Amino acid sequence: MQISTRTSNDIHIVAIAGNLDSTTSPEAQKALDAVLAGARKVALDFSELDYISSAGLRVLLGAAKQLRASGGTLRMFGLNQSVREVFEISGFSAILAVYPSEAEALGAM
Amino acid sequence: MRHEFRMMVGADPGGVEKVNAVFAEFARTYALPEAVRRSLNIALDELLANELSHGMRGGDAGPVTVEVELDQERLTATITDDGPPFDPFRQAAPDTTLSVDERPIGGLGIHLVRELMDDVSYERRDGHNVVVLVKQLVVG
Repeated sequence: MQISTRTSNDIHIVAIAGNLDSTTSPEAQKALDAVLAGARKVALDFSELDYISSAGLRVLLGAAKQLRASGGTLRMFGLNQSVREVFEISGFSAILAVYPSEAEALGAM
Repeated sequence: MRHEFRMMVGADPGGVEKVNAVFAEFARTYALPEAVRRSLNIALDELLANELSHGMRGGDAGPVTVEVELDQERLTATITDDGPPFDPFRQAAPDTTLSVDERPIGGLGIHLVRELMDDVSYERRDGHNVVVLVKQLVVG
């Protein structure tokens, strides 16, 4: 897994590439915690994410809860078919803000 | 035509990663469809992370054997350990309709395995826990 962070205006964009699973989720958690400490608007770029397991979903749910509590916004985009399927099965597609493209995710954020 | 690999991993946190690395190579070699590979990657992560690390086994995690077989019709993974009887599928499905605030963190793993695989089974056989996961390669 590789994580890279960039900012566009005041939006922090975190790109997670590879697998988000039980092995990599502690590192992803750490990276997201660091971003969340100083950000209100966060977008997760999943265009290079291969697959996500429940350990990864836990990290996303934690981030969503934290941002919600602080009045922030979390959006994600670029999900492949497998990640989309996992979001559907887990019900995450109904509770997290998923967008088809970066432009749509960042628009009006 | 039939291909398979078999490996044993100990109860160390790197065990899941080792299995996934070998399976990824196997998937590449036999040109497994991406969707099938990803589904089994996720299922292995859910089951092995449970077995090899903490929690559900009460700290009684021993070595686990993973066998993966591929034939024309299906991909089958068999996970065997000699721990106390433990059926991972004997738990209720989580409520996936709860909101962000109501949703407890966790409890989704086995639900994902059930939904992503075509068949799952558990059997206690000769003092071993045997979990079998099947993913059909051809739909219909």
